[in-house]
Amino acid sequence: MEALTAEVVVNTLKELGSMVLYIILGAVILEILVYLVLGKIFKSKYTLPYMLMIAAIFGISMLVIYPIGYEVRLAFTNMSLRHFRTYTLSWAQGLKNFGLIFSEPVLKQIRFFPLLFRTLLWTAVNVVFHLAGGLGLALLLNRQMRGRGIYRTLLVFPWAVPQIIAVLAWKGEFHYEYGFVNVMLKSIGMQPIQWMVSPFWNFAAACITNIWLGIPFMMVIILGGLQSVPLEFYDAAEIDGASRWQQFRNITLPLLKPVLTPAIVLGIIWTFNNFNVPYMINANELETTDILVTALFRAAFEYHRYGFSAAFAMVIFIVLFIIASVYIRTTHGLKGAYE
Amino acid sequence: MKNKTKQSNISRFFISPSRGDSPFKRMVIHLTLIVACVIAVYPVLRIISVSLRPGDRLLSTSLAIIPKDASLFSYYRIIFEKPFLLWLWNSLAITITTALIGLILASTSAYAFSRWKFPGRGPGLFFLLTTQMIPAAMLVVPIYILAVKFQLINSYRGLALAYSVSSVPFSIWILKGYYDTIPRELEEAAKIDGASQMGTFFRIILPLSTPALAIVFLFNFMMAWNDWIMARIMLQRENMFTWPLGIWTLAGQFRVEWGAFTAASILVAIPVMALFLYSSKWLISGLTLGSVKG
Amino acid sequence: MKKFLTVLLVLVMLVGIVSIASAEVNLILWTKEGEEALDWNKSLVEEFMKANPNITIELVKKTDVEVLREDFLTASLAGAAPDILWTVSDHAGPFVAADIVEAVDNLFDLNIYVDSAMDAVKLEGKYWGIPISNGNQLMLLYNKKLIAEAPKDTDELFAVGKKLTTGGNYALVWNQTEPFWLVPWLGGFKGKVFAEDGVTPTLNTPEMIATLKFLHDMKFDAKIVPLECDYDGADTLFKEGKAAMIINGDWSISGYVSALGDDLGVARIPKVSATGEWPKPYTSGVYFMFVKGISGDKLKAAQDFIAFVSSKEKQIEMVKLLNRLPAVKEALEDPLITEDPILKGSADQMVVGTPMPTVLEMRCNWDSMKPEMLAVLADTKSPEDAVKLMQSSAESCIKSLE
Repeated sequence: MEALTAEVVVNTLKELGSMVLYIILGAVILEILVYLVLGKIFKSKYTLPYMLMIAAIFGISMLVIYPIGYEVRLAFTNMSLRHFRTYTLSWAQGLKNFGLIFSEPVLKQIRFFPLLFRTLLWTAVNVVFHLAGGLGLALLLNRQMRGRGIYRTLLVFPWAVPQIIAVLAWKGEFHYEYGFVNVMLKSIGMQPIQWMVSPFWNFAAACITNIWLGIPFMMVIILGGLQSVPLEFYDAAEIDGASRWQQFRNITLPLLKPVLTPAIVLGIIWTFNNFNVPYMINANELETTDILVTALFRAAFEYHRYGFSAAFAMVIFIVLFIIASVYIRTTHGLKGAYE
Repeated sequence: MKNKTKQSNISRFFISPSRGDSPFKRMVIHLTLIVACVIAVYPVLRIISVSLRPGDRLLSTSLAIIPKDASLFSYYRIIFEKPFLLWLWNSLAITITTALIGLILASTSAYAFSRWKFPGRGPGLFFLLTTQMIPAAMLVVPIYILAVKFQLINSYRGLALAYSVSSVPFSIWILKGYYDTIPRELEEAAKIDGASQMGTFFRIILPLSTPALAIVFLFNFMMAWNDWIMARIMLQRENMFTWPLGIWTLAGQFRVEWGAFTAASILVAIPVMALFLYSSKWLISGLTLGSVKG
Repeated sequence: MKKFLTVLLVLVMLVGIVSIASAEVNLILWTKEGEEALDWNKSLVEEFMKANPNITIELVKKTDVEVLREDFLTASLAGAAPDILWTVSDHAGPFVAADIVEAVDNLFDLNIYVDSAMDAVKLEGKYWGIPISNGNQLMLLYNKKLIAEAPKDTDELFAVGKKLTTGGNYALVWNQTEPFWLVPWLGGFKGKVFAEDGVTPTLNTPEMIATLKFLHDMKFDAKIVPLECDYDGADTLFKEGKAAMIINGDWSISGYVSALGDDLGVARIPKVSATGEWPKPYTSGVYFMFVKGISGDKLKAAQDFIAFVSSKEKQIEMVKLLNRLPAVKEALEDPLITEDPILKGSADQMVVGTPMPTVLEMRCNWDSMKPEMLAVLADTKSPEDAVKLMQSSAESCIKSLE
């Protein structure tokens, strides 16, 4: 068994230490280059900001731009198991790949539009419950009361637990015989549910797990936003005779918007792309629980359709991009961020 | 000076008192919150209880929180019979390096975005936002190939580099938002006194931004600490596994070692949760940075 | 001067010869084994390295067979592949299709191995792996304390089973989530997953419908199995004495020997009364595979290591430690096997087994059978509907392999 020994610790430090030195060296060289090129040759007044950013730009190019480029190229090939070492790269093959995404099943049975629909359903269900739960709890907590701190601390537990632990633990709890969900159902006289075998219930299990995981984040954000609403507004409204509901609609909600909109956008993006929960809860690899990103992973790693999955990935990205853009545009939510 | 004003602003926005709530209403609120807390905490208690079960009865239908003849057998096993400590060390080394590098890269770049309107700024910001939408599964194969070319597979360096860079876009957004709330007059004043641009950065902006910097460090740390998918691709030898991979080998596929999995989970989760809960005040203010108009 | 140069030349040559002779060879071996089998892997490697000090074998454990397959493909893609693999026979399909393993016809004397073991890795007229153990088959294991003798056919199984299934105890448990447990019964109903050409799926057949119906009835009519049961569940119930019989594979025998001792019995899966046929579990085994491109010193070292593991002595050691049947003909005749009731039972089952198809298309069959089998066993689909979907899934999967 490999163990943690002093030798390992020393090796780690050496390896990481030397890497940090290389990075510093590289960054300095890059900055000198930028300084010389932009500062001395072009005499640009933007030399300093570019110098500040060059290291990050370089890193992002390597880790984001190059892979995206590689995937785009891969989308125009037919690389798969049978065409592993030698494959064809052409416009025609690319068009064929994109066509296949929509015309043939992406995995065995599931086709693109049902998969898209299920992903949208997954996103909608989760975000709605996250918002409702988070808002409800935040409203309850936004008052002076005994035990407020304790409540807040306990309610944040699902967010504090590392996601992979929570997901694998929930997967265990949906076990037919030994998981607490069925044990509780049985104890109140109900029939145990086949969480891992039934398409409907497996999807529900994934939703339940993700909702449990996601409510605290919304609650904390909304609570922060609620606490920034000046009390005078409520007092003035009450003097004018507004009811609690009217106060909520006309004061709370609009003032929460600058906080809510980025949170909701993030929530939509993260839920849409959530890999861990649908993948791990799906113990029997039911295609009916897959969302777009898990289907993408399976197409690439379990079916080895590398060219096809690269095209698929591009389509997924475009879909999400459109959704996020539409949402942002219609709510004008990110005004102020670009200033 | 700046900090003091911020503090008194915050204390103005006090929590609303429960103006005239009836005792009945208060009781209902407390009850609802208690139920919500139970739902939030119970699964975690279950992890603890399974981890305390004696070795021969890991799968059972008992719901007792502390099982009969509870034993620390699983904890013993995970520490001494599995390379659990090694996994933790791997994670720790990679994560701290990641958070540091990410912080350095982001703090300088965010300053550029905040203080200059250089060509490419708008598209740059937009690009940083869109990187958040890219599914990780899409980048995994090319990053793997790149890492093999540079011999970064199965090494601390490869994963640390990958993590550092992937957290940079989000960090830049947060730091830029924070820097934007620091008025430029401060830097102007310092320049009049003879400081250089970078001098103001190091001596004025950075010290004032310590809350935001701490938050970014924390976010980077948490993201790298908890990641599974990138580690799965970059680390293929068990002696290099980070703890998410280690735990996945215990509970991922067919044979689930419940005792080892839950014991490991508790050992990992406790410090993480303690850190998280302790710093949750920071996190709230970090997430609402820029929206608190003071 | 001339003398000096000659001496220098001789020295250089000597150094060259010595370094070639004792050239350091480094082999990377990926294994899919875990637990006791992994321990045996480690001891083999250690023993071999001691006897051959210039060869270093680095043993890399892969969590399970899926991880090994995925990692090997990604590693080959990037040019970071290992040298030899210790894995299961059906990996030959994908690896041969991707052209990342070597054919072994000319690398080894294949006559010393059992025929059925070699058949399991035959593809496109060549052999692609060297067998280590033979079998990997499912069989009926039973607890003699709960049931004195194994039932001979399915009618007896149902009759006896109904009496045994009460109060949380079950007559029979098996992994209801994997089609690997379905195929023996399919064989018992005279069905096959492939047509004669070995690549066209034949899943929507009356035989498959009969098999699904049989498994459905076993659960819902005879009621001798749990409502939902995965590998872990079955394993635990049997070990705890709450199940009289379990259908599991040869890899699980040593675990049950430790748990039940002399109470463990091994027999063939009961004959299907409706057809009079013995169920035909898939047989395969564990194999060495050579990664494409291996040559020179590494190849020689790999061959030496494999010869070492294929020696009668090591094969018998494996039988003792892991209760697996050897792949080497000579070892199969050893009295250790013919006289041990458990091993005898295992060998007995293997005789009526059938080699597992190893073509790439088999994966499509597995993937297509699984969800439909789950649905039938969850009583959410009729066998007739299920087989239609099985066939269409398999066909679209095979189409996508192009």
